Amino acid sequence: MRPAGRSETDSLYFDYPHFPFVRPPELDAQAIRHRVAIVGAGPVGVTAALELARHGIASVVLDDKATVNDGSRAICISRHSFEILQQLGVDGPFEQKGLGWTQGRTYFRDREIYRFQMPHSDQERFYPMYNLQQQYIEQFLIDKAAESELVEMRWQSAVTDVSQGDDGVTLEVTTPEGDYLLEADYLLAADGARSVVRKAFDLSLHGEAYEGRYVIADVRLESDFPTERRAFFHSHALPDTTILVHKQPDDIWRIDYQLGPGEDPEQAVEEANIRERVELIVREVMQESGDWELEWWSLYKAHTLALDDYRHGRVLFIGDSAHLVPIFGVRGLNNGLADAANAGWKLACVLNGQASDRLLDSYSPERRGATLDVFANAGKSTRFMTPPTPGYALMRDAALALAFHNDYASGFANPRQVTPYTYAESPLTLVDDPAFEAGPVPGAPLINRRLGDNDFLLDHLGIGFNLLHFSEKGEIEHALQQWLAAIQAKGIDLTLLRLAREPGAEGALVDPDGSLFAGYGAAPGTAYLARPDRHVAVRWKSLEPTALDVALITALGGE
Amino acid sequence: MTGSTLPFDDLERVYERLAETLDALPEEQESHFLAQLALALAHRVPEVDRVMAAIDEAREGTSGN
Repeated sequence: MRPAGRSETDSLYFDYPHFPFVRPPELDAQAIRHRVAIVGAGPVGVTAALELARHGIASVVLDDKATVNDGSRAICISRHSFEILQQLGVDGPFEQKGLGWTQGRTYFRDREIYRFQMPHSDQERFYPMYNLQQQYIEQFLIDKAAESELVEMRWQSAVTDVSQGDDGVTLEVTTPEGDYLLEADYLLAADGARSVVRKAFDLSLHGEAYEGRYVIADVRLESDFPTERRAFFHSHALPDTTILVHKQPDDIWRIDYQLGPGEDPEQAVEEANIRERVELIVREVMQESGDWELEWWSLYKAHTLALDDYRHGRVLFIGDSAHLVPIFGVRGLNNGLADAANAGWKLACVLNGQASDRLLDSYSPERRGATLDVFANAGKSTRFMTPPTPGYALMRDAALALAFHNDYASGFANPRQVTPYTYAESPLTLVDDPAFEAGPVPGAPLINRRLGDNDFLLDHLGIGFNLLHFSEKGEIEHALQQWLAAIQAKGIDLTLLRLAREPGAEGALVDPDGSLFAGYGAAPGTAYLARPDRHVAVRWKSLEPTALDVALITALGGE
Repeated sequence: MTGSTLPFDDLERVYERLAETLDALPEEQESHFLAQLALALAHRVPEVDRVMAAIDEAREGTSGN
């Protein structure tokens, strides 16, 4: 919502683009068979389109809007998500515009009681978290998609119904110039919490909706306070309300506050009430004396809801269409981007003949597993942020009071921010080699390591599968070379990264100080097989080339 | 004095159980229940210095109110 007199796209800092309707061939009775249709041009849908394009697969993205999101909404992008963006070649504008951050503070009764640090080191290319308004996130992804001949954006095109048969899906599309049917081999449903695709197949989300409603409000305010996450509990100004504050680019501040149990949400989002509450928070809680302007606000509820199966025949649900999670821990967008990457590479492997349709069966256990992991933590986080009963409120305040002097209690104040999920139980993940004492386990994402100035391990990944091979000087045994050539000849996209302790073979990446080998628990002969989404499929302390075939077959969904 | 303490995961379970137990009690019995609980827990700690230190910690936590 925006202040009276301003339209949804009348922003203090962002120029909303206008995407014209382009008449598609289907409206002139030309039959086209698309490989992949994506419903929803939000961050998740366009990320999926870019991932498909990275693997050479064309898609068409449909959205009923003519511009990007009306407000800043999801503003925190995790390092893991940035590594996805890097693979898509779009991290540049995100890093330039986003505000990287590493720490946060918790206040109790207006006193700082705890500072949390997110894991960070000079081995990382990216900060653990960046703040960036969703309009920019969408804009940068759409700009990138415009550079690709493999992504067709269809704006002002509302999908009204969907059906599927044995060999494809059919979408009914309504446009300013008439209705048409769109045919595709597969469909990715990225159409959000009120997914039309989900309704068309009569599927519903299951789980809990927690008590409590929250307002998110953006204000423009000049302040030197650094980019951190601040959480205020039991402030003197609003003792019954938990308040979160985040800095965004363009001097925009996100203020997130809980409504009291007796408060009427409709009244709470009236502009006068928003202004009164924000003024109190800016002055008394944030302790800012400068002028502020109201930009945008919205209301949300904490949910833990998910589909029972994220695959429905030729349809994969990605992002909010598949799951709704509470915003504490910033998992909505970040898990949505991981969904898009996961569904994207698998669908590409099926469509370009590297894998059978069965590979898609692994999408739901992997990504629904990640959602259930969020749910396990979300209950705790939500009960802490917004205690549902007097008993929980008493315990919460007791833990915060103890945390001021005692580290043992500060864990309660930790916001449990999103961490990448390990696909340990996935049918694509192989059994670990017990000889390892360190490094990412099968199912976990690769870790980054600095190789030099502005040079990191993950910068060197190929598009498809990657074999990280550790050796003294970058040498590769003849037998392994032959196996790799045979695998590549079968059409499997596999890149060899030679990681060496010391310079020798040309093209090998040299571990500058031992931290690459140490981080991966590696010795000469060690190898990691990573999937296109950087998750480890299997690792060997000492690779037997014949094992590679079996591993790739498993990681591609089996024979 | 031994330094062994409860793992944080278990401390979280205690937190949740206490919240639910408190909710099941009439409000006027809360402090009576918590005082009993403090004695029952103290009985299980073999070093009195650790119990006294815990009392001081909790006291400090209330002083900033």
